[in-house]
Amino acid sequence: MPEVEVENIVASTSFAEKLDLDVIAQSLEEAEYEPEQFPGLVYRLSNPKTATLLFRSGKANCTGAKNIEDVETTIKIIAEKLRKLGVEVYEKPEVVIQNIVAISDLGGELNLNEVAIALGLENVEYEPEQFPGLVYRIKEPRVAMLLFGSGKIVCTGARRIEDVSIAVDKLSDELNSLGLIHK
Amino acid sequence: MIPVQTKKKKEKMQSIEEVVQCPECGSTHLTKDYSRAELVCEDCGLVIDEDLIDHGPEWRAFDSDQREKRARVGAPMTYTIHDKGLSTVIGWKNRDSYGKSIPTRNRAQLYRLRKWQRRIRISDATERNLAFALSELDRMASGMGLPRTVRETAAMIYRKAVLKNLIRGRSIEGVAASALYAACRQCNVPRTLDEIAAASRVSRKEIGRTYRFIARELGLKLMPTSPQDYISRFCSELKLSGDVQAKAIEILKDAADKELTSGRGPTGVAAASIYIASILCGERRTQREVADVAGVTEVTIRNRYKELAERLDIDIIL
Repeated sequence: MPEVEVENIVASTSFAEKLDLDVIAQSLEEAEYEPEQFPGLVYRLSNPKTATLLFRSGKANCTGAKNIEDVETTIKIIAEKLRKLGVEVYEKPEVVIQNIVAISDLGGELNLNEVAIALGLENVEYEPEQFPGLVYRIKEPRVAMLLFGSGKIVCTGARRIEDVSIAVDKLSDELNSLGLIHK
Repeated sequence: MIPVQTKKKKEKMQSIEEVVQCPECGSTHLTKDYSRAELVCEDCGLVIDEDLIDHGPEWRAFDSDQREKRARVGAPMTYTIHDKGLSTVIGWKNRDSYGKSIPTRNRAQLYRLRKWQRRIRISDATERNLAFALSELDRMASGMGLPRTVRETAAMIYRKAVLKNLIRGRSIEGVAASALYAACRQCNVPRTLDEIAAASRVSRKEIGRTYRFIARELGLKLMPTSPQDYISRFCSELKLSGDVQAKAIEILKDAADKELTSGRGPTGVAAASIYIASILCGERRTQREVADVAGVTEVTIRNRYKELAERLDIDIIL
């Protein structure tokens, strides 16, 4: 079975009812806050290497993590920092994973023209003029797969880590049974 | 009651469908002999059907004057006009039905009639939008010199999009441009997004996005464009001979067998094969010239050209 590597996890959470971003921006060194350009405050961590967007409503998005533990530590670190500033923060912020992006390799080259026809033209999106990959959306689990001529695939839109491997296995079985992977 | 009737009608329609194959030898070379009113198989000579109905007019015309006088019908129905070309217009000539000119005191009245008829043709906002979109479509198609069939197809796609409420939230120009793009591909005369973008007032990105959306929603089953479809057009724009064209298509066929086209932009591959073919046939065009015509960069041509030359074992001496 193809090996799956998670590249990015996007999660959202809520730290408080509301946050005073001006105060946070002034007291935290690493914070980037330019309300003229973007209403959120960007907070980058180097370990784990993630970036978090904090909003006035107290909600936050954490991006760039490669596994779920990183998301949790990021949230913990930020909550800790905020507490030190005297900002009231929820005891245990609830973390919801919004998107997981993973890559994998089918282990052989694909002829995307054949793949598009075999999977059904109505199920796929393949416009070499606009994008070199073929987009295949599957319903169960609900993810979008990007297939490339080299056999590498990107799986996006999953909400759980297991979904990625289920989807990749499903796709690889389907393509194998159609004999479309050229070793 | 009504659905049953229509179903019956459909069955009847199917039973009177045209014979396309000879029941005796299975040949498809059938000819209608109008002077004998017979359907004849060209291969075995069997008369398949007789007493054919002639659908043509019962009159003959020997010049355009007679044709105009005798024809009792108007232009065929078309989807490129918002009312399908079925409405009538008050003529611009100030003459009555006998051909006599209309007295000057009634001219103003006729002018007003004409004005109001023009206004009344479009009844509501939806129709006005459709009329605008279709005229926009026609403008773009004329600008690119596209044939009737493509225009009709584009208008049909646009109408389908309207029926499915796909226009809401998108610009009329954008949807019209992408309908035209889809129609070109459906009729096997693909234009690049850049060409459509140049003829319309919409960006290439927007057209691509809208096209993907309507293609998915309307379930248009369009094959990915193949580089072959661009060869003849690019070649004639570069003033290359038929030999080069044939050679380029040959190269593309080999490239497709070796899977060199998968995941590559069709225009880039087409441009590279034309470039190689032009050198092989001794009618060299520079990468720059080919790139400009195909709407790709020279770098793309170089990359594709290296791949093709290497994998297809083509020796090129510059």
